[in-house]
Amino acid sequence: MAVCVAVIAKENYPLYIRSAPTENELKFHYMVHTSLDVVDEKISAMGKALVDQRELYLGLLYPTEDYKVYGYVTNSKVKFVMVVDSSNTALRDNEIRSMFRKLHNSYTDVMCNPFYNPGDRIQSRAFDNMVTSMMIQVC
Amino acid sequence: MSRPAHRRPEYHKINKDLFVLTYGALVAQLCKDYEKDEDVNKYLDKMGYGIGTRLVEDFLARSCVGRCHSYSEITDIIAQVAFKMYLGITPSVICNNSSRNEFSLILDKNPLVEFVEELPAGRSSLCYCNLLCGIIRGALEMVHLAADVTFLQDRLKGDSVTEIGITFLKKLDEKKYRRKK
Repeated sequence: MAVCVAVIAKENYPLYIRSAPTENELKFHYMVHTSLDVVDEKISAMGKALVDQRELYLGLLYPTEDYKVYGYVTNSKVKFVMVVDSSNTALRDNEIRSMFRKLHNSYTDVMCNPFYNPGDRIQSRAFDNMVTSMMIQVC
Repeated sequence: MSRPAHRRPEYHKINKDLFVLTYGALVAQLCKDYEKDEDVNKYLDKMGYGIGTRLVEDFLARSCVGRCHSYSEITDIIAQVAFKMYLGITPSVICNNSSRNEFSLILDKNPLVEFVEELPAGRSSLCYCNLLCGIIRGALEMVHLAADVTFLQDRLKGDSVTEIGITFLKKLDEKKYRRKK
C-alpha cells in the first residue's frame, strides 16, 4: 500500500528510505526531498500556536497524479514521509495515522538500542520488517 | 518481643525502561572505551563482582532463606528467588554434571537485552550481560563458595537460548579466605 517510506533526520538528511522495488527509486527519493519543503511550511505555520496544540500528524502534504504524500513529524523534528498509491482510494485517514504511529513506535525502539548513535542510518531488522509489512499489505 | 521476618516490606520500584537503558548505556560506553571484546567482558565481570558482593547482603536480609545443604539447592535459590526479586524473571535450572557441581540457568527472556537486536559489527564475542555473571560470582564468594560463572549460550550471538553456566569450585576455607579481585 505504501510505496515509499522515509525517515528524515532533524538536519534534513535521510536516516532510512525504502521504496517498493518495482519502479525507479530515484523518482521517490525526489518526491520525498520536495516534500520536505511542505513539511517545513506546515511546521512553521503551526509554530505560532502553543506547542501542545501542534499535532504530530501533518496529513496530506501534496498529491500528484499517481501518488499522495503524507507527513508526520516528531517533537525531536524527525520527519516520517510516506508515499502511497493514489489508485488505492480505500486508504482512510485513520489508517494512515495508525501506520505513522507504528513507524513512530518502531523508531523509538531503534533509538533505545544502546549501540545506535542518533544520526546514524537505521539498520535494524525489526524496523525493516515493520516497513515491509506496511508495504506489502494486500488491498 | 517479636519482629517481623522481613525488615523492609516494600520495594522501591523504578521504571524498567530506565534501568534497561542505563545498562545499555554502560555497555555502549565500555565498548567505546575498550577496543577488545575480552576487555569489555572482563570489566563487566569486575563491576558485577563489586555489585554481587554487596547485593548478597540485601538479598539475604530480604529473602530470609535458610541454610542450603547442596549446590543444587543454591542454584535453585538463585534462579527462583534472587532472579525473581531483582529482575522479575525465573530462569530454569539444569544440572549438567553428574558429580553435581556444574549447573546451568536457562533464561528464556532477558529484560536487559530488550532493545538490543544484535551485537554491533566487530563485537561478535561481546557478552552483553556479563554483569550478571560477575554478580553471581561475587554473591557466592561472599557466602564462601567459589564458583566460575560464564555464558555458555547467548541469544544475541545467534544461539537459541541464553544459558549461564555456574561451576562450583572447592569450598573456600573460611580461615584462609582472601578476597579475589
